[in-house]
Amino acid sequence: MAKTIMIVDDSASMRQVVTIALKGAGYEVIEASDGKDALSKLTGVKIHLIVSDINMPVMDGITFVKEVKQLDHYKFTPIIMLTTEMEPEKKLAAKEAGAKAWVTKPFQPPILLAAIAKLVLP
Amino acid sequence: MTAKAKKNDGTLCVSIKDDMTIYNAASLKETLLGYCQPGTHELQLDLSAVTEIDSAGLQLLLLLKTEAQQRGFTLRLLRHSEAVIEVFELLKLSMYFGDPIVIPANWKKS
Amino acid sequence: MSDINPALETFSQEVDELLTAMEEALLGLEAMPDDADCINSIFRAMHTIKGSSGLFGFDDVVAFTHEVETVLDQVRNGERTIDAELIAVLLACQDHTARIIQHVLCNENEPLPEELQQQGQALIVQLTGELTVTGGMPSTQQEKTGHFEVDANTTDSRDNWVISLTFKQNALRNGMDPLSFIRYLQTLGKIIEVIITMPTIPRIEDMNPEDCYLNFKIAFNSSTDKKTIEDVFEFAEDDCNIHILPPNSRQEHYLLLLANLPEDQVKRLGEMLVEIGALTEKEVVNILNEQHDNNNNDDEPKPLGEMLIAKNILQQPIIEQALKKQEAVKQKINKESNYIRVDAAKLGYLINLVGELVISGAAMRLMVDKHGLSDVDDVASTMSHLVEDIRDTALQLRMVQIGETFMRFQRVVHDVSKELGKQIQLQITGGESELDKTVVEKINDPLTHLVRNSLDHGIETPAVRLQAGKPEKGTIQLNAYHDSGRIVIQVSDDGQGLDPEKIVAKAIAKGLIKPDQALSNSEIYNLIFEPGLSTKEEANNLSGRGVGMDVVRRNIESLRGSVSVDSELGLGTTVTIHLPLTLAIIDGFMVEAQKERYIIPLSMVEECVEMSADEWQIDDVQHYVNLRGQILPYLRLGDFFHKNKKHTPVQRESLVVVRFGEAKAGFVVDELHGENQTVIKPLGKLFENLNGIGGATVLGSGDVALILDVQGLIQHAKKRVNPTLALSSAI
Repeated sequence: MAKTIMIVDDSASMRQVVTIALKGAGYEVIEASDGKDALSKLTGVKIHLIVSDINMPVMDGITFVKEVKQLDHYKFTPIIMLTTEMEPEKKLAAKEAGAKAWVTKPFQPPILLAAIAKLVLP
Repeated sequence: MTAKAKKNDGTLCVSIKDDMTIYNAASLKETLLGYCQPGTHELQLDLSAVTEIDSAGLQLLLLLKTEAQQRGFTLRLLRHSEAVIEVFELLKLSMYFGDPIVIPANWKKS
Repeated sequence: MSDINPALETFSQEVDELLTAMEEALLGLEAMPDDADCINSIFRAMHTIKGSSGLFGFDDVVAFTHEVETVLDQVRNGERTIDAELIAVLLACQDHTARIIQHVLCNENEPLPEELQQQGQALIVQLTGELTVTGGMPSTQQEKTGHFEVDANTTDSRDNWVISLTFKQNALRNGMDPLSFIRYLQTLGKIIEVIITMPTIPRIEDMNPEDCYLNFKIAFNSSTDKKTIEDVFEFAEDDCNIHILPPNSRQEHYLLLLANLPEDQVKRLGEMLVEIGALTEKEVVNILNEQHDNNNNDDEPKPLGEMLIAKNILQQPIIEQALKKQEAVKQKINKESNYIRVDAAKLGYLINLVGELVISGAAMRLMVDKHGLSDVDDVASTMSHLVEDIRDTALQLRMVQIGETFMRFQRVVHDVSKELGKQIQLQITGGESELDKTVVEKINDPLTHLVRNSLDHGIETPAVRLQAGKPEKGTIQLNAYHDSGRIVIQVSDDGQGLDPEKIVAKAIAKGLIKPDQALSNSEIYNLIFEPGLSTKEEANNLSGRGVGMDVVRRNIESLRGSVSVDSELGLGTTVTIHLPLTLAIIDGFMVEAQKERYIIPLSMVEECVEMSADEWQIDDVQHYVNLRGQILPYLRLGDFFHKNKKHTPVQRESLVVVRFGEAKAGFVVDELHGENQTVIKPLGKLFENLNGIGGATVLGSGDVALILDVQGLIQHAKKRVNPTLALSSAI
């Protein structure tokens, strides 16, 4: 059974590249353009891992993570935050909120795939 | 989430009809604990419908095995699903549980 | 899929080429089982096919080639020997690879047929041999899954990584499922055994199913490094304590790396271990934090090494070796810091000044004696001693052992003997003999020439040697020792020796000697130092163009030394070099003839006797005396240096008997002045070729005294003696 990954990022091109890479690796993908959009899609469907950007319009990544941790059906889902070297404090904040894994931007798809594989193999 | 059938000789046959993950670990634990009653000689768990099992689920199985030894009844795992076999294989657990694992003919590694 | 079809074609071609190369190399290995190139080429084939197959997602190919590659890696690292049996299996593996690739290329996304799967399994069993033991696994699973269970008991468990994972309570809630990491770990190698413990588990009633109670101990077989394994658990670092103990085979690897660490600076234990990859930086940071915390408890802080062993992060031998290494580096650096690098020019200046001091000392001595100041005498004596000590110490500063110069020839002998197809060993003795650095620097060239001569002309080929009843392996010996204030360096070999007849013939041909000239063997041998004489017909690129030996002699004589050769045909040749220990100061013996003062190096003076006409049977025509039954050529220094001056006989003449090497002669002088420290002042270019003079010195009185070239004078004295009488004075 294929594992499902949710990718939350406001950049459409970013989502596209990641989706191609993930599908290529054998995952199912659900895309969302920001935290709020993502929350609206967390309605019972099984999700094995969430990849989320931090800086997003409407609802930022850290708020999103906090919200996810309130959802009975998703609170234990592993979350990978996409952080940058420039914002170590945001990485800490994301960890506090409950996103324990991270990938530093910019990255090549294989880097993200490797990080995902440590938490959920396809 | 479970269906049980009790036989006269004290053998309890339980089919787990759900995933064994952290999301339902709490309720699963309560259910399983309910079966560890005096008078049970053998608890059979049918795992064929377990599509997903994680560490929380595994933890419960391990605990149940210990509990069975302490309380003096037999725990028998039956009809392991692919997901269960995968985890048992990963952790070399088949020996520990000691139950024969039957591989369906169309079984493929996912 | 159409867009990757061209790439698949390339892949197919590539595979064909690689498999052909692999076959060739395998067949080549049958002839030469240790050929590293062949083994590499086989490994490369499997490795590349595995890599490309991975790109296209041909997992069956990757899985199979991975097994073969693993075995080949062991072969490559010398952990496994390759024999005919293994070659046969590998050839079968090559065929099998071709077949499964053929299959996946034609039937994409279809699983391998049963037959191919079983074949592959059988081959892997053959390859990995004893590793495939089924343990208690149900047989159905083993046959169908293509998966291998490895029984921990039969595997060499020491050769596995031991990974201990202690998960914390909230790990599961944070989405950090231990199973995920272990699954991922499996992609890096083979999980051999897993031990699950739940040390803190409560009764089932009290257990919180969302807490994590699981601890894992995993025996893991992989050729990856520690950092990569640690990175698997990167995201779990807050929720898990991780210990990774390297396998024993890694230990050897680490020990080797430790031994090869540069010794340029003292590093901390942690730094060294991180550098060789035995520890990761994260582990060091953690353990140092812990050490720091313990320190706050006012306890004596535990050494890092002890903590690492106690916490089972690294094995004891590695820590011990690292500490040893650290100590060795410390000592080395300490030792180095005991030395001060000094500019050689400054040292030269100091020695020059000491020379002047010696002269001033002599001048003072002279004044004290002249004025008969008895109370000054004591002070002057003390000062003389001090000056002498200063001189010796100053000269000692420039003394170096000759051993290092000798050691350089090990390489020369090794390389050249290989090139010539000879078996030659170099023996070095007396390497601890010291001599002046300036002399050492200049002796290198002549020595090189002599050693190469021995290598090239001296030692015979193994076949010739065996025929001559000698050991196959020839020996060249470098020896040094001190002899009466000089250093003697010998280069000897047990080779074919010099052929006197050949040398004579050549010397006659070159016009160096007359055909009827009667020469002792020693004189004949020493002809090889004459310009233009080479005993080898054919010159080669190493030595022996006939310009060598005379250059050797000239170099050595310019150091106020001498060289001679002794040989026995068929048994070997010994070249002996005499050199002064230093070029700056000598202990001299001052004599006077015809109102001129001369200095004879004291080390060459044998004895002084009164020149008594009655006793010594002086032969004034032939210039020899009978010294206690020995024919001794003599030279009147006064006559020799003042040819035009009429010799005014002095009442009591003295005979100074000098010796140089084996040769002896007497110098007839008017007066003996005794020992004298002499600072050699080189003569100017103009006087360089003066017969019989080696240098000059300034006396305390300000006068100049000539330092005699004893070697030259002895030869001169001998020439004037009828050779037939000169029995005792062969050079």
